Amino acid sequence: MIATNVRRLGFYLMLAFGVVSASAVWWQVLEAPSLAARPDNPEVLAARRSLPRGTIFDATGQVLASSEVVDGLSRRTYTDQAFTHVIGYASLRFGTTGIERAYEDILVGQTDPNPIRDLVDEILDREPEPRDLTLTIDRRLQDFAADQLGGDRGAVVALDPSSGRILAMVSSPSYDATAISGDPAAAQEPMDALRNDPSEPLLPRDRLGLYVPGSILKVFTAAAGLDAGVITPETTFPDQPRQETEGFVVDGFTILEHDLGGIAPGLWRLSEALQVSSNIFFAHVGLEIGQERFLDYARRFGFCSDSVIGSPARPLAVRASLVTQPVDGDCGPFADDVELASASFGQGSTQVTPVQMALVAATIAGDGVAPAPYVVHDVRAHSDDGSPSDEVLETFSSTGGTRVVSAETARAVRSGMLDAVNGELGRLFAGQGDITLYGITNDRSAGKTGTAQLGGEQAPHSWFIGFAPAQDGVTPTIAVAVLVESGGSGSGRAAPIGGQVMAEWLRMSGAAGG
Amino acid sequence: MRLAWRGVELGLLLPVLLLVPLGFAITHIALSGAFEVGPLGLAVGYVALFVAAHLVLVAFRHRGDQLLLPAVGALGGMGMIMLNRLPQDLAGTSGFGLDLGMAATQLLWFGVGLVAMLAIAIGLRDDGLLRHYKYSWAAVGIFLLVATLLIGYEVNGARLWIDLGPVSIQPGEFLKIVLVVFLAAYLAETRTLLTSARMRIGFLSIPPLPYFLPMLVLFAIVMLMAVRLNDLGTALLFFGIFLTMLFVATGRRSYVLIGLILFVAGSFVAYELFGHVQSRVNVWLDPFADPLGAGFQPVRALYALGRGGVFGEGLGQGLVTLGGGLTIPFVHTDFIFTAIAEELGVLGAFALLGLAAVVVFRGLRIAALARDDFSALLAVGLSASLGLQTLIIIGGNTKLVPLTGITLPFVSYGGSSVVASFIMVGLLLSISHRTAIGADEAAP
Repeated sequence: MIATNVRRLGFYLMLAFGVVSASAVWWQVLEAPSLAARPDNPEVLAARRSLPRGTIFDATGQVLASSEVVDGLSRRTYTDQAFTHVIGYASLRFGTTGIERAYEDILVGQTDPNPIRDLVDEILDREPEPRDLTLTIDRRLQDFAADQLGGDRGAVVALDPSSGRILAMVSSPSYDATAISGDPAAAQEPMDALRNDPSEPLLPRDRLGLYVPGSILKVFTAAAGLDAGVITPETTFPDQPRQETEGFVVDGFTILEHDLGGIAPGLWRLSEALQVSSNIFFAHVGLEIGQERFLDYARRFGFCSDSVIGSPARPLAVRASLVTQPVDGDCGPFADDVELASASFGQGSTQVTPVQMALVAATIAGDGVAPAPYVVHDVRAHSDDGSPSDEVLETFSSTGGTRVVSAETARAVRSGMLDAVNGELGRLFAGQGDITLYGITNDRSAGKTGTAQLGGEQAPHSWFIGFAPAQDGVTPTIAVAVLVESGGSGSGRAAPIGGQVMAEWLRMSGAAGG
Repeated sequence: MRLAWRGVELGLLLPVLLLVPLGFAITHIALSGAFEVGPLGLAVGYVALFVAAHLVLVAFRHRGDQLLLPAVGALGGMGMIMLNRLPQDLAGTSGFGLDLGMAATQLLWFGVGLVAMLAIAIGLRDDGLLRHYKYSWAAVGIFLLVATLLIGYEVNGARLWIDLGPVSIQPGEFLKIVLVVFLAAYLAETRTLLTSARMRIGFLSIPPLPYFLPMLVLFAIVMLMAVRLNDLGTALLFFGIFLTMLFVATGRRSYVLIGLILFVAGSFVAYELFGHVQSRVNVWLDPFADPLGAGFQPVRALYALGRGGVFGEGLGQGLVTLGGGLTIPFVHTDFIFTAIAEELGVLGAFALLGLAAVVVFRGLRIAALARDDFSALLAVGLSASLGLQTLIIIGGNTKLVPLTGITLPFVSYGGSSVVASFIMVGLLLSISHRTAIGADEAAP
């Protein structure tokens, strides 16, 4: 009888051997092509290890990243740590990030739609020709912005509101990407140090960091309220002056004003409310907009979903900014009106990226049209002599913006932001964002500060968003967002950085344009 | 008495033993571009070991199965070719004035294993020692476990090793044999009682508890401790051995069904309770979710399988190292199958699986022909153990089941695994020898 059972067992084991053999066939034959097409496949990595890689230049043609082949291995050298979080690294050991990853096929000269198989096959026959990239960023502004942060944890994002061209994109602290991308044997130690560093230098804060925005989000609330027609620039809320001192009770929860620094409460309109950054005023606006419509406008402004810088095919990823608790990567519904009122002045469950807030500023500066940001200007033939080739193979340009709010709405918010920096009351809070303090005499800047309360003992995040030139009848050429983690009040730390970066850009572009 | 020339064994060993030096030579040419005799030393040593083992069996007129040794020699040969091709500093031995690399150390263990196999195949004239002292064997097993628990040390989060001065051993590999011996002895004694079960719960029949309990208790201890030692692969293997032997002893699918229900329930509880179980299952379900972190090893292994394709990249031409590190961490133990499948393709993978199947089905044949229940159950347990271990680790390599850290018998690097596997083959040879002798005596 045992013999019978043994035969039955043999049958089952035979089946099991068959299934395991089939699983080998599955991966080795049926799935092999799709495995070979994945970018982190070591076969691809290995093939690219020995390929020369194109140079990356800044907007003025200065070298930011270049490669040389040493002992058959391609090694990357980076010249400027201010660019690390934009360019990323191309490490023999740790793969690629940033532009190095998004534009890898172009950099190594393999732009075939199905590059991987081709690559491996073609290496044997002919060397692919590397291609060079030129960024939209002028190194001088990037370095200037990085210097302004001075190694503190934070980010600066600046772009041209009309075209979406990125002018500066800094995440701090940065690190030396050359140490990771050079000799593979020596790369582990610096990488371990970076991974263990509590200040998280590997995190691109500009794109992937999420921070409570505080009062800079009032720019969004103002635009949504005006565009939805629930307020005009002249609207006042009769209970607001009293609530400035007593608090505003929403669903049994009392919303309190921040420290107004001795300013006497008045019956404020949008301009004054932006100048003194009245939480009470914007809580009223938010409740008038209502939960559904608030979320609707948030999505129109680009909140609530992941997005990209550049084309979706070659993306630098930007994390979704949120105005409520997330559900499946989207903004969930508001829990109640308290959360809505708090979100209206940038507290509650709001969390945003510096890139998103720079886009909010750019949308106001651009008369209500949100630009599509991009950071790679063109692809050129490879040049070895340290200056870009004249042979431009492909130029990336603005893909056109998206209208988010009406021009009328944008101009009303712009006027309020101009007052917030230059107005009698506003100067007390956002006056450090005024470009006339930094040597610009003919132009004016607009802006808004934020002091994001984090609860507990943590020092608040310091924020500023703004644009310049902002006086009537002039098209702004730079919109900026500045974040300093736990940097204290917005007026103290972020606003001066924002003002200086805008002033520096106006100086640079004025000089360039004659 | 008939002459025992073991001509089949010799005839099958010869091609195997020619292929091993050939594999070494091809690997060396692929890696260095030149043919040299020096690097073939280990291959020649390997051939010599198996020839010697064959001759010893002939000299002692051994009547045991003649397919096992060639099949094992071929499996080990594939492993040796691959281990010789990997970086030699992955493992090794130094001491006694020796400084051996990985392949040389493995060869040393093959020598020890073959000696152990011969000693058992020839020396074990009857099964009394195994059969009558089953509780002593159970005690030895429990001692091994407790020792591991107390003085064992961890590698990669699993406490598997005991340090014995110059060598470290993995008691789990030997515990497996003890478990099989105990279960064979116990089941041989009680199987009629277990079969006449009349307790029923619904459509499931339950064995009578008094006969079943000692076995269940021992088994619970083994499982609990295997889980405590964080060695999920061994726990899974033990459970599989237990169910297989129970099935063959009783012929009741319902016991296996109960076992599987228990296993599913237990897995679910373990998943809920233990973080490491949870993360391992999640990595199994979607390794590509975190290809540079938790999924690094399995994802890299799948890429290697894909690179291999049908015919493989050729010996010595796989992508073993990348950027100063191994392409697949632990390629010499957990992923030796993947390395072979990369260089020899799906055809090489079939060859390896086929050879393992030969070992398993010869073992089952020995069981079917055995003259007593104990021998039959012992042979079943040994073959099932070798078979299941092979299936679990290869299935782990191909993402069929969650990856565990058990070895591929005769192929993976590791002294304990090699020696334990040879002991099992020795036991199978000894059983088949006694069967043959018994058949002669019974013949008129």
